[in-house]
Amino acid sequence: MKRVVGSALLFVLLAAGAAFAEYPEKPIQGYVMWGAGGALDNVSRAAAPNAADALGKSIIMQNKTGATGAIALTTVANAAADGYSILFGAENPNLYKVTGISEFDYDQFDPIILLMANVGVVVVPKDSPYKTYADLIAAAKSGKTINMGSTGPGGLPYVATNMIQKIHGVKFNLVAFDGEGPAITALMGGHIDAVAVGLLAASTYIVGDTISGLAVISPERIESVKNVPTVLEAFPGEYDSYLPWGAFFGVFVKKGTPSEAQNKLKEAFLKSYNDPRFAEFADKMGGVKLGLTGDDARKYIEQNKSVSAWLLYDAGGAKVSPEEFKIPRP
Amino acid sequence: MMNNLQYFLIPFLDWHIMGLLWGGVLAGIWVGAIPGLSGTMAVSLLISFTFSWELNNALAVMCGVFVGAVYGGAITAILLNIPGAPAAIATGMDGYPLAKKGLAGKAIGLCTTVSFFASMVGVVTLAVAAPIIANFALKFSPRDFFLLAAMGILLIGSIGGGDPVKGIMAGVVGILISMVGMDPSTGELRYTFGNLNLMAGISFVTAMIGLFGVSEALTQFRDSRAKSPKQDLTKIMPDWTTFKKYLPLALRSSAIGVFIGALPGTGGDVAALLAYDQAKRTIRHPETPFGQGALEGIVAPETANKGAIGGAFIPMLTLGIPGDAITAIMIGALFIHGLRPGPMLMIETPHLFWMIVSMLTISSVALFVLGLLSVRPFSKIIEIPKSIIMPVVIILSVIGTYAIQNSVTDVFYMIGFGALGYFMRLYGYPTGPMVLGIILGPLLDSNYRRAMQGAENEIAQFIAGFFTSPISLFLTLAIAFMLFSQTKTYRKLRGID
Repeated sequence: MKRVVGSALLFVLLAAGAAFAEYPEKPIQGYVMWGAGGALDNVSRAAAPNAADALGKSIIMQNKTGATGAIALTTVANAAADGYSILFGAENPNLYKVTGISEFDYDQFDPIILLMANVGVVVVPKDSPYKTYADLIAAAKSGKTINMGSTGPGGLPYVATNMIQKIHGVKFNLVAFDGEGPAITALMGGHIDAVAVGLLAASTYIVGDTISGLAVISPERIESVKNVPTVLEAFPGEYDSYLPWGAFFGVFVKKGTPSEAQNKLKEAFLKSYNDPRFAEFADKMGGVKLGLTGDDARKYIEQNKSVSAWLLYDAGGAKVSPEEFKIPRP
Repeated sequence: MMNNLQYFLIPFLDWHIMGLLWGGVLAGIWVGAIPGLSGTMAVSLLISFTFSWELNNALAVMCGVFVGAVYGGAITAILLNIPGAPAAIATGMDGYPLAKKGLAGKAIGLCTTVSFFASMVGVVTLAVAAPIIANFALKFSPRDFFLLAAMGILLIGSIGGGDPVKGIMAGVVGILISMVGMDPSTGELRYTFGNLNLMAGISFVTAMIGLFGVSEALTQFRDSRAKSPKQDLTKIMPDWTTFKKYLPLALRSSAIGVFIGALPGTGGDVAALLAYDQAKRTIRHPETPFGQGALEGIVAPETANKGAIGGAFIPMLTLGIPGDAITAIMIGALFIHGLRPGPMLMIETPHLFWMIVSMLTISSVALFVLGLLSVRPFSKIIEIPKSIIMPVVIILSVIGTYAIQNSVTDVFYMIGFGALGYFMRLYGYPTGPMVLGIILGPLLDSNYRRAMQGAENEIAQFIAGFFTSPISLFLTLAIAFMLFSQTKTYRKLRGID
């Protein structure tokens, strides 16, 4: 009996100690919503170790995949808002509500930092008859069947393709792949005519000259693939209401996490973000460094949500209208 | 050329890299042998762990673990009829009967020797023919992957055992289980009943651990009075004549392995199953029939999955496209270490290619030596009483399943599959075809859809594709032959029976 009381007492003391100790006083669980080896995983694993150093406690990274990330998001949403469960997430939750995947999305989270953006780029095989972006659009307008890769509704290729279809009033024949990598592989093998993918997946092949980049879906050219023009250069003004748009990778905590923990995390990840090694990594991957925190991060997320949700809805890929969730039209 | 040789020799001369490679292989063998712990999991953990290491050291330990883990899967398949990794599913079918006869030492010895041979075939092919094979692999269209998966489905006949109807039923249920979750092409939810956990789908490793691991343990409990066979460990290393006898099969199966490994999206598991089937179809008179302890039934899958290691590096190093799940993670590791894996890798960093070739060579040698050294201790496992070893298997199954994606839901699935597998065995339904269905279901489903979408959903255009592309035509004919070879007409023509 004595021992039980003793250990109970010890437990209470420890718990009380935990409440007063400074964050972080134990390792942090990091949940990555996409699989090992993917773009989000690479970005997260590149940023986490330095942030962990700055925090003085390790960040235990685990990939919790499935339902385009909803499993990981729900796990963190159901954990305590104490800063010991953090989410490494991409843009996918922005579509959970309209696709009916989950009632949770980033509305239940606070962004710590948006690390990197992934802009869309339209690519074709090296021996493609389409030498410029205008060629491709003209061919689509003429009614020719163009097989365009996709990764299923909601993915960056799907939304980007729908953006192009809507703006130019054209129709592509969509072929769905398991991911951007497999879509590019199929492009190299000549099994599809073109695909709009994230630059992260494509830049190494564009630089290596095994596929050609026709246009980046961005207001400005991107440093790592400087010779690829923007969509605005071919069609000035036509993309204005949709840009800037792109996928993003960031770190999130559940809403209600004490501001002390949030600030510590922000500081640590900013330090990791500003490490020259991260800049080199971003450049090699073809990512655009974001470094957005607080309201800026929230604004970026909302812009992406508005563009993606409405494009998906207009293309018939959404179950519920974005209006129901008060998502403004771009 | 001299430069390349120099790069090739670096790992041989650096005791640090050497130590990491040998240590990696040893750790890999254990990770592979334990059901549920997989090479994929180990390598992804190593990414964070080796973040601050020098790149060469990080790659060394990853290569070592990769090679060791593929081999380790066979050990538990042979000794306990529980494949430690998906690539060893076929190995247990003949390995376990051998162990029951007291020939586990002979089986593992042969497995180790041919594994070394096949792994070297893979490495040499990588070194001399990587660009050619990579470019050929790119030519495989979704239609061809569909045909490959269809060919795999025909394996149900090979691994189903006794009653074909029961085998087919198990296979079909397996395919249906693989459909649970989000539709890969439209995102539509299938068999999810609004449950978020079901939306994530059911991972085939979970099913494999349950159907092979737990159900086997339960079955062995049921027959726990059966005495463990005494193992003959006098002769482990196969002699030259034995080796020579299996050489043609080993070469053929390694070649299948290298190629299937090089195809993006298929790895050692599919390679091993196809090679087992190929052996069963081409070898008419094995000393012992297949399924009862044919040594051919070990040689074929074990050489195919070792060949697939070198194969998987082919598209990774030449094009930056992963050949399987582990190389996909290693591409991530290269990015994190500031390299640019892709078509420029061989041009910007030629040393990396030769270093990896060399690391795989050393890992293969380490595998051979460490494998042979551990035959004796491993073989003792089977002599441990069932009442001790089987609970350990169940505990490891639970831990391993949880570790896949830190999900308790997966553990429940696994236990469910364990119970299902137990009753399937009790009523004579084979579990192999079900796992096969779960592995091949997505390959079949998504590639069929893709091929149809590419043909603008026109059935005529889709079918025409089978005859207009040379690769598709070859695969179509191969499937037609596989079916035809089972008919009476064919047997009469060949004068068999």
